[in-house]
Amino acid sequence: MAYIQGRNVNLTFRPPNRNPVKALSNFDIDVEEGEFLSIVGPSGCGKSTFLNAILGLLRIDSGDLLMSSKPILGPGTDRAMVFQEFGLLPWRTVQDNVALGLELKGVPAETRRNVCRGLIDMVGLTGFEGHYPHELSGGMKQRVGLARALATDPDVLLMDEPFAALDAQTRDIMQAELLRIWQKARKTVLFVTHQIEEAIYLSDRVMVMTKRPGRAKRMFAIGLPRPRDYEMRVTPEFNELKLQIWNELKDEITV
Amino acid sequence: MAQIVVKDAAPPIPFTEQYRSMLLGFLSVALFLAAWQAVFLFVPFNPLFISKPTLIAASFYELVTSGELFRELAVSAVPFTYGFSAAVVVGVTVGIVMGWRTRVGYALDPLMTVFYASPLVALAPLVIVFFGVGVSGKAIIIFLLSVFPFIFNAQAGVRAVDWMLIFLFHDPATTEKDLYLKVIFPSVLPYIVAGARIAIGRGLIGVLVAEFFAASEGIGYAIARYGDLFALDKMFACIVAIMIIAVVMTEGIRWAERSAFPWRVGQ
Amino acid sequence: MSESQALETQLAAPATDDLAPPPKSLWQRFEQVILGTTSIVLLLIVWELLPRLITMGAGTKLFFTTPSQIGGTLWKMFATGTVWTPLGVSASGFAVGLAFAIVVGLPLGVLIGRSRTLNAMFDPFITAFNATPRLVFLPLVLLWFGLGLWSKVVIVFIGALFPILINTYEGVRNSDKLLINVVRSFGAKEWDVARLVVIPNAMPYIIAGLRLAIGRAVLGVVVAEFFGSESGLGVMMVQAAGRYQVDIVFSGLIIFAVMTLAMTAAVQVLENRLSRWRPQRAGGE
Repeated sequence: MAYIQGRNVNLTFRPPNRNPVKALSNFDIDVEEGEFLSIVGPSGCGKSTFLNAILGLLRIDSGDLLMSSKPILGPGTDRAMVFQEFGLLPWRTVQDNVALGLELKGVPAETRRNVCRGLIDMVGLTGFEGHYPHELSGGMKQRVGLARALATDPDVLLMDEPFAALDAQTRDIMQAELLRIWQKARKTVLFVTHQIEEAIYLSDRVMVMTKRPGRAKRMFAIGLPRPRDYEMRVTPEFNELKLQIWNELKDEITV
Repeated sequence: MAQIVVKDAAPPIPFTEQYRSMLLGFLSVALFLAAWQAVFLFVPFNPLFISKPTLIAASFYELVTSGELFRELAVSAVPFTYGFSAAVVVGVTVGIVMGWRTRVGYALDPLMTVFYASPLVALAPLVIVFFGVGVSGKAIIIFLLSVFPFIFNAQAGVRAVDWMLIFLFHDPATTEKDLYLKVIFPSVLPYIVAGARIAIGRGLIGVLVAEFFAASEGIGYAIARYGDLFALDKMFACIVAIMIIAVVMTEGIRWAERSAFPWRVGQ
Repeated sequence: MSESQALETQLAAPATDDLAPPPKSLWQRFEQVILGTTSIVLLLIVWELLPRLITMGAGTKLFFTTPSQIGGTLWKMFATGTVWTPLGVSASGFAVGLAFAIVVGLPLGVLIGRSRTLNAMFDPFITAFNATPRLVFLPLVLLWFGLGLWSKVVIVFIGALFPILINTYEGVRNSDKLLINVVRSFGAKEWDVARLVVIPNAMPYIIAGLRLAIGRAVLGVVVAEFFGSESGLGVMMVQAAGRYQVDIVFSGLIIFAVMTLAMTAAVQVLENRLSRWRPQRAGGE
């Protein structure tokens, strides 16, 4: 039994005053514990929706979505998400933002402070604990987001295009940082992205989704050794994978 | 291969979904009226103290058909028109000058703030005592109360003008008057109209204060008189009349704003 | 309820930092203060000297008062202590009415903001009552509550309720859905969502509504006292008007104006204290 398992998952959005939209259709997936899995797919294919379903913010209409053999029914401290638009509370300092999950869990203040300090150091933001989000750059904000997600020590880390709002250079740095941090913590990571290169660079496996309504199209195993470094991005193996994935993906893209 | 995909025709959204807000609004008003009417099945009805929707509607109808409502409204409308028009002219002019000529703005801002913060309504009795109970007294009160939204909004409108436009259009041949009329005025108009919407409310207060205080005719006077006579149904009917007028004018301007200045939605 | 309702009410009562021109140089600020003060001083001087410069008819003379007279009367009122009782009466009507308006308006605004159904149901009432001048209900209120504190409180309440309600509603509705999802994902229940996201986000709007409500509340006190009270500053002013004691009228007006300005300033201080997390707008950044 896979750690996270989806079978025949169906999910339809029903926005008020608008027509319902089917986001996921007979979606299957198996995620192994401790693996780094990326999901790529065209815009609107449902990949973020799937992530939200695992997070517990969205309910699936039919099918099974299981984690450790138990159905996912709502949010929980075993899963945490890093959001594309950062989602930091602007009226709270960095420290208080990182502590959010712990605060909601009821962890006492002293423990919160210690855990947060450790995490803030780990993501490289020492000295910025008392700053407010508007004083931070995009990359720094996302580091806060990452620290916050790790604070509750979740088993699964969900990342919804976390670097899409950053410029290319910051993005590259953040990718390396993410791998560095992940090596230490070794959580199961589900990473959604548009960028094939990013997916290959970071992951153990890459899944390609069809266009909406989304379905699993094909899974690619990434055989590149770890720890990954930047030079791997220019090797022939890397490019071969990139081409293969692109070939799967391009049929799904409609303009 | 990238394809071009045509969206399938969407199934129609049910009527109830689309107009949900409006239907709910009607429903709650209807429920409110029904509850008001029905409460007197349980609670004794004292006509000296309150009225019922049915009686109010009957009075309203009576007042309309006898022409009395319109008579009273017409009496109140005269000073309102005078006072309000004066407020528009004076307020907009002063406001534009204050916005355009920054130094004038600097000089007059504190003064205007003080005026705005003072409850000018407090001067109403004084005005009435001095100018008497007729049209002029009322008009002056209305003017005093409704001029300030115009001043502030016109000023804000001028300050918000895109100065790039000014520089692009400004060549030595354009007179200052031309500049005012053709560039500044259209940009400022939305602000002025928004100011009008607020000024109407304040002007109406002026009408009512004047008439409550010392008048022998007008819609405000009518409300007070019916109150004195304990004719609650007629009193409510007049109140409803004013509510209708106020809502129509305010929402009417808002609708006009939306159609005339659609780019300012959310402003 | 259209979005512009809350924002346009802000436009009428300018929050000076919203409408202020972009950050000024030291010279400009200096200029501003000088011009402002000069114009006020000039006005007062002209006013003071007017009776000496032009001849007025007997009727006008009866009504005319000068800044020095007003100043003298004000001083006397405070020195002899005659001002405190009426001021206290007015102030308590103001305070109680405003307190009720906050206690009702804030939670109601939050509820209406969070629920589209409630919003649709309350909208016609709120629109109608907001557009209507509150004064129109005065005779009715007097009939129901008689003269005295309670009719005053009711009028103040009706006046102050709507800015608070509408602005709270707007602030709540303006909540960032993303942030709500974020805190929910970390396990926030409904109350946590309100505490962590909705209320802090709505604060600026609520403060703006409070500022407006203060002005309306003062108006409510004045108007209620004119017609339906036995004591209070407004009553004092109305009686003085009847006796042609214009200086007392203006003194009362000034006291009310100072009250309004003082309270608005207090609200501003509160706002600044709560806004430390916002990007500053001061020049030089």
